[in-house]
Amino acid sequence: MASLTSDTELPTPMLASQSIARRIFHRAVRSSAFRVGIVLFVILLLATTFYPELSGIDPTKMNVKARLLPPLFFGDNWSWAHPLGTDQIGRDMLVRTLVGLRYSFLIGVLSVVVTLLIGCAFGTVAGYFGGRIDAVIMRITDAQLSIPMIILAIAILGVSRPTIPAIVIVLGLSNWPVYARIMRSVMMTERQQEYVRAAKVSGANDASIILTLLLPLLLPPVLFTSILDIARMMIFESILGFLGLGVQPPTPTFGNIIADGRKYLMNAWWIATMPGLFLGLTLTSINLVGSALETARNAIHEGKS
Amino acid sequence: MTAPLLDVRNLSVGIGSTGRLILDDVSLSLKPREIVGLVGTSGAGKTVLSKALVNWLAPPLVRRAGEVVFEGQDIFSLGEREMRETRRKVAYVGANPQGALDPTLPVGRQIVEKLRATVPGTSLLNAETAAIELLEAVRIPSARQRFADYPSQFSGGMMQRALIVDALITNPTLLVADNVTQPLDVTVAAQVIRLMKELTEKFETAILFISSSLAVAREASARMLVLDEGRIVEDRPTEDLIARPDHGYTRDLVAETPKIWTTHFTPPPAADDTVLSLRDVSQVYKVKRRTGFGGFDELRAVHNVTFDVRRGDSFAIVGESGCGKSTLMRLLSRLEQPVSGEVICMGEDIAKLKGQRLLEFRRRLQLVLQDPFGSLPPRTAIGAMLEKPLRVHGWRDRAQIRERVETVMVEVGLDPNLYGELPLGLSAGQRQRINVARALVLKPEILIMDETLSSLDQSEQFKLLDLFARLQRDHGLTYIFISHDLAMVRKVCNRVAVMYLGEVFELANNERLFFDPGHPYTMALLSAMPTLEPRRYRPEDCLMEGEPPSPINLPKGCSFRSRCPRAVDRCAERPPHLTTRGQRDFAACHLVVDPAPPAKAALPA
Repeated sequence: MASLTSDTELPTPMLASQSIARRIFHRAVRSSAFRVGIVLFVILLLATTFYPELSGIDPTKMNVKARLLPPLFFGDNWSWAHPLGTDQIGRDMLVRTLVGLRYSFLIGVLSVVVTLLIGCAFGTVAGYFGGRIDAVIMRITDAQLSIPMIILAIAILGVSRPTIPAIVIVLGLSNWPVYARIMRSVMMTERQQEYVRAAKVSGANDASIILTLLLPLLLPPVLFTSILDIARMMIFESILGFLGLGVQPPTPTFGNIIADGRKYLMNAWWIATMPGLFLGLTLTSINLVGSALETARNAIHEGKS
Repeated sequence: MTAPLLDVRNLSVGIGSTGRLILDDVSLSLKPREIVGLVGTSGAGKTVLSKALVNWLAPPLVRRAGEVVFEGQDIFSLGEREMRETRRKVAYVGANPQGALDPTLPVGRQIVEKLRATVPGTSLLNAETAAIELLEAVRIPSARQRFADYPSQFSGGMMQRALIVDALITNPTLLVADNVTQPLDVTVAAQVIRLMKELTEKFETAILFISSSLAVAREASARMLVLDEGRIVEDRPTEDLIARPDHGYTRDLVAETPKIWTTHFTPPPAADDTVLSLRDVSQVYKVKRRTGFGGFDELRAVHNVTFDVRRGDSFAIVGESGCGKSTLMRLLSRLEQPVSGEVICMGEDIAKLKGQRLLEFRRRLQLVLQDPFGSLPPRTAIGAMLEKPLRVHGWRDRAQIRERVETVMVEVGLDPNLYGELPLGLSAGQRQRINVARALVLKPEILIMDETLSSLDQSEQFKLLDLFARLQRDHGLTYIFISHDLAMVRKVCNRVAVMYLGEVFELANNERLFFDPGHPYTMALLSAMPTLEPRRYRPEDCLMEGEPPSPINLPKGCSFRSRCPRAVDRCAERPPHLTTRGQRDFAACHLVVDPAPPAKAALPA
């Protein structure tokens, strides 16, 4: 039926002077999902940047008298001083969660960046050049895929100290083969397209075809999916923290807050729940923004103004 | 007057809930054993009509009014079970044979399955025998073995034949053939049409032959319907229709169909200096062997090709699919390097060019590609696309680049306001103009047109050909057209090379090639070409049944021998080489006699 509709619905090309990136952005801004997401994200960002310092509460300061206080309006001994309650040794949950968010988010984003760098570089090279290079790189990814993430984490973090860079590297290393595979497969189909041939005939070399023609085309969808991976990495960090291989106490991260709170789940559910809540909020905001951008991008490239 | 087999009365089909009608009050009738042609441009509603006839309308298409009466029954009033019974009498063959066959099942099994589904109670053995008989009837060689082969082992023409068998196996009284010859090469298409004509007699089947080309439909049918914007505008005997088209649309259609034999060609003056020359260029690909334990077969894609292209030439390389045209294009544009021989441009072998010299060669020789959709990078603005080659060639001044790009856009007939736009919603013709512009921005001397016009409809082709002619006059361009469309070649090219299985079979000037072909294959090609004019060569005399041999296991001797009606013993022994026929014309056939003694054995130019 394509032939029927394409003949009649020729959209008159709009004559906007804006660049395509700006049109995508403007279209995204018009969607409510984007606005909700960005507002939520900005609130979280401001809170995590300024609240711990402005409130003057030390996230590691113990206060035995005020231990296991519930969040606002729950139970009978809640207090305005600790809006999200306190943990088993009287540390303020709000400050701890916000500081934990900093670390978790940092680790999530950085490890995704590491993943993307390694994965996309390998995948692009393998897919574009093919042949022997492809075979070698794909065997490396197979080898990497065959090592379970937890074993790798225990091996690396058990031997070295579990510092933040080490955790970022472990998480990044455990996940890149997926991206290598994705990039390789899209690259393999795309490099046979006629426009690549046209670029070659016009004299462009491989590096410039990859960097200026193919990557700008293929990377955005991968980037959008990788936003979801930030969430996964934050959860992995929690798992590592839970195993005691994450960031070491007393520095709060989502992982070790949840690990602590697990023991008190029956009488103080909020200790383990609050980081989870913030994790959920952060990821929702990122996903809303990401999906709004992707929808806008697709719409623009389908010819809507 | 026999009762009509199929009678369509005032059929209207629309899209969903909108008021738009795809088919508007269509009435037609078909008598038993009759072939009726149905032509119309893309979007005229041909495919919808063909689907409606076999009760295949799927949402959003809805029948608004009218009925399709088949053997006295309105098929739309039939229930699902009754329709299934009717399906054995109504068969459908589409334009996409690859898509219609399940690649994981042997072809024979699929045909048997269809027979047993529509005619319950057929024993497996009977079904197999019937299928094999029919495969033989459509001249699939060694049908018994082919029966067990998978679709991937069939060529396009054979697949189309297998689908015709699939359609005919239930002995239908009506066959709806929707653009069946479109994906096929001209010689194979001619064979398929010949086959369909025989089938109407042998199996008493009526055929509705739907085609987008008037000339093809004329080959097949004695009566012709013309569909324009969902309405039947003509319903007359074919010859009458072509001689005296009534409706404006039909007149355009007849006028647009290119003439081959009744026009005369005045070649543009070509200079004497050679801009590009090939010397014994060969290319061999290694193909993984499917059977056994690995190993490679050699596929001879291009074999000892030698010719010169002069400045100002419009040089055509024609041939059917698999003849090595595209490989030759890649060799000429240095996307690949030949295994032997050389391509000489600017006095140098292009294989040896490096760095700045290579870039200079790239500037001189540009390529305009075939697919108007795949050849433009998606999600890139048109201006950026056209700027790219300039940047590669070291242009840095933004204002200068922009000016050059806009000049070229105007030159090829694009609105410069499209500069910042994505190529969305542009027609294939507009996209092809972008393609031409991208090639032109570097001010090349040679343009290779790789099937550039084949995806465009007739009127758009004419416009682009005019554009090409103007550009050639203005910039002194040399064109190399790679094409399978002889009518287009006849219209614009002064020199033609005919290729078959990697070899140049004939090399001649336009008039000589068409009116005095030296090679039987050229004649076969010309005879198979559908036109509206009286034929010069009868296909029955020029082309034998059969398909080109596989390029992996080429037979000894002349590779056209198996299909050549004039083959002699000598052809089986050794391959012929290009022999001069005087006046710079050459043919590679043992039957060609050199008019002059080989004293000055000149290279073909």
